[in-house]
Amino acid sequence: MTTLTAPLSRRRFLKTTSLATAAAAAPLILPSSLLGQAAPSNRITVGIIGTGNIADGHIDTLLGYPEAVRILAVCDVDRARRDFAASRVNARYGNSDCTAYNDFRELNRRTDIDAVWICTPDHWHALIAIDAMRHGKDVYIEKPMTLTIEEGRAVVEAARRYQRVAQHGTQHRSMKRFHDVAEYVRNQGLGKLDRIEVTIPPNNRFCAATWTPEPVPAGLDWDLWLGPSPWRPYTSGGCHYNFRFISDNAYGQITNWGAHYLDIGQWALDMDASGPVEVEGHGHFPTTGLFTNATYIDFTCRYANGIPMSCRTRHEGGGSVRFVGERGWLDISRNRMSASEPDLLREMQKNGRPVQLPLSNNHHENFLACVRSRARPIADVELGHRTTTVCNLGQIALVLGRRLKWDPAHEEFVGDDTANRMRGRALRSPWALT
Amino acid sequence: MPSVPPATSSTPPVVVSSEAGPTKDPWVEITRLTYGGDRSYAWSVREQVILCAPENRPKLEERLIAAVTRPGCTDAGLAALCELLGLIGSARSVPALAALLLAPATVESGRAALESIPGPEAVSALRDALPRLSGNARIGLIGSLARRRDTLAMPALTALRDRTSEPADLREAATRALDHLSRA
Repeated sequence: MTTLTAPLSRRRFLKTTSLATAAAAAPLILPSSLLGQAAPSNRITVGIIGTGNIADGHIDTLLGYPEAVRILAVCDVDRARRDFAASRVNARYGNSDCTAYNDFRELNRRTDIDAVWICTPDHWHALIAIDAMRHGKDVYIEKPMTLTIEEGRAVVEAARRYQRVAQHGTQHRSMKRFHDVAEYVRNQGLGKLDRIEVTIPPNNRFCAATWTPEPVPAGLDWDLWLGPSPWRPYTSGGCHYNFRFISDNAYGQITNWGAHYLDIGQWALDMDASGPVEVEGHGHFPTTGLFTNATYIDFTCRYANGIPMSCRTRHEGGGSVRFVGERGWLDISRNRMSASEPDLLREMQKNGRPVQLPLSNNHHENFLACVRSRARPIADVELGHRTTTVCNLGQIALVLGRRLKWDPAHEEFVGDDTANRMRGRALRSPWALT
Repeated sequence: MPSVPPATSSTPPVVVSSEAGPTKDPWVEITRLTYGGDRSYAWSVREQVILCAPENRPKLEERLIAAVTRPGCTDAGLAALCELLGLIGSARSVPALAALLLAPATVESGRAALESIPGPEAVSALRDALPRLSGNARIGLIGSLARRRDTLAMPALTALRDRTSEPADLREAATRALDHLSRA
C-alpha cells in the first residue's frame, strides 16, 4: 500500500526534509549538494517497473517533484498499463520522453537512469532488484521485499556488493505515529512489554472450486508475467491484483499488510538486524480453487527475550499493531490511534527520550535524499529483509502446522529439514538469483 | 458388523450395507490433476505428505515416486508431486527425478525438486544433465548448479562461458554462476 502525499514544491520538499532530518540520525541528513539544484542534469532520473495500482501512487508522488525527479521510463508486461503510465508521465511533463518497456532488463540497462521503483507482483521483486543494482541503479522495492527468505538475503548482499541505496517500501517507517510508538516502547514507556499483537485484514477474495484457463489477452506477455514462478495457464482471476492470493506469487495479507505492522514490531523490539527464535501457528487453507493462500491466519513469533508477537486475521476493522505492557496498551494503525489510557498517547508523542530512533517524515523524500548522499535509507533492505522474514516464518509455520525453531543469526530453522527447504524456491527457466 | 434387529410386521427391515459408493484414491487422482480442475484430491495428498511424522516420510516418498512415474501423469499432477518431493524427497527420489530432466515437458518440475533435495546425488543428477539440455532449460539448470554451490560443475561452466559459439544468454548465465561459485 502507498500513502499518497500532497505534491510538494521543491522549496518545501527541501525545507521539510532538512527539518525532519536535522534531529535525526546522520544517515538521514539531506546533503547540501541537493540544495539549490534545479538544472535538469541534477535531477534524479527514475524508472518505474510494474505500473499497476501500487505504482499509481508512486508515480503521482514522483510527478510532484518536477525539479528534483524526472521519470524517464516505465515498464510493464501489460501493454495497456505501461502505455497509460507513460502517457500520464508525458502529459505531466509536456513531452514524449518517457519510454514504455515490456522487459525490465531493457530499462535496467539504460545508463541515464539513477533509480528504479519496483512495483511488480512479489515473485519478481528479488530478480528485478538484483538486476537493477547490478546495472548501477538504486532501488525502491515495494513490500514485501521478496517472496522467500533466500531471495531477501540475496537482495541485501547485492545492495552491499554493488553499493546501492535500497529502500524497502514499508512507508510506516516514515510516519511519525509509528516512529513514536516504536521509540516509546523501546524506552520502556509502557513499562515492561508483555506482547505485541498484529491484526491484518481477511486474506482472500472468494473464488470458485475450479477455474478455466483463458486465452492470454492481446498485449499481455504472460510468460514474462510468470517469470520465475511455476508455469500455469492464464486466467483473468489470477493475474492483476489477485496474484497475492496465490502462493506461487505472494503470501496474501501476511505480506501485504503484515509486512507493514510486523515491521513496526520489529522496530520497537530493536530487531532490525535479527528476528524471532520461534514461530508456530495455523491457517485455514482452501482445499481447491485458484487461490491457495490461507483464508484465516494466526501465528505467533517469540523473541529471545521471551516477548511474543502474534499476527491474526481480523474480519472487521482492518489492521493495526498493538503493544501491551504493564502500564497498558497502545493500538496504532495508519488512520487510527487508541490506548488503554489517554495519557499514554500523549506521552507517546513527546520528544526527548534517551533512546531516539531515526525520524523520516516522507518515505520517498528519504530515499531520494539518500540517493544523493549515498547514506542508508530509513528502511534499508537489511531491515526490510528481516521484516519480510517474519512474514515468511509465519507462512511456513501455517503450512507445516508445527512449532519451528529459528536461528536468526544463521537464518535457518533448527532441526526441521522441510522448513529449511521452504526458505527458498527453484526458479523457472531461464531465471536465476545469481 | 452391528447386529441387525429382526424385522417385524409393522416396521420395514433395516438394511445395513457397507456399499457407501465408490471412493476415489487421491494418489491416483493427483496424477490426473489439470490446471483449473478440482485440486481437492491433490490437496489430500499434500496434507498427508506435509503433515507426516518424520519416520513415515520414506513410505510417503515411495508413494510419490510411484505416482511420478505413473504413465499418463498430467503436467499439473507432475508439478504438484514434484513440489512435494522437493519438500521431503531424498536420494531415493533422484533416479526418477533425473529421468524427468530429459523431456522438455517435465524438465522444469524435475529440476525444481532436485534443486531442493539435499545430498550429492541430487547435485550429480543436475550436473550430469548439463550437456543434455539446451535453450532456456539449460540456462535454468546452470542457475540450479549455482544455487546448490556445485563447485564440481565449474570446469563445465567455464567451458560454456568461453565457447564463443554458445548463445550469449547462456554464456552470461555461466559467467554469473561461476562468479557465484567463486564467492561460495
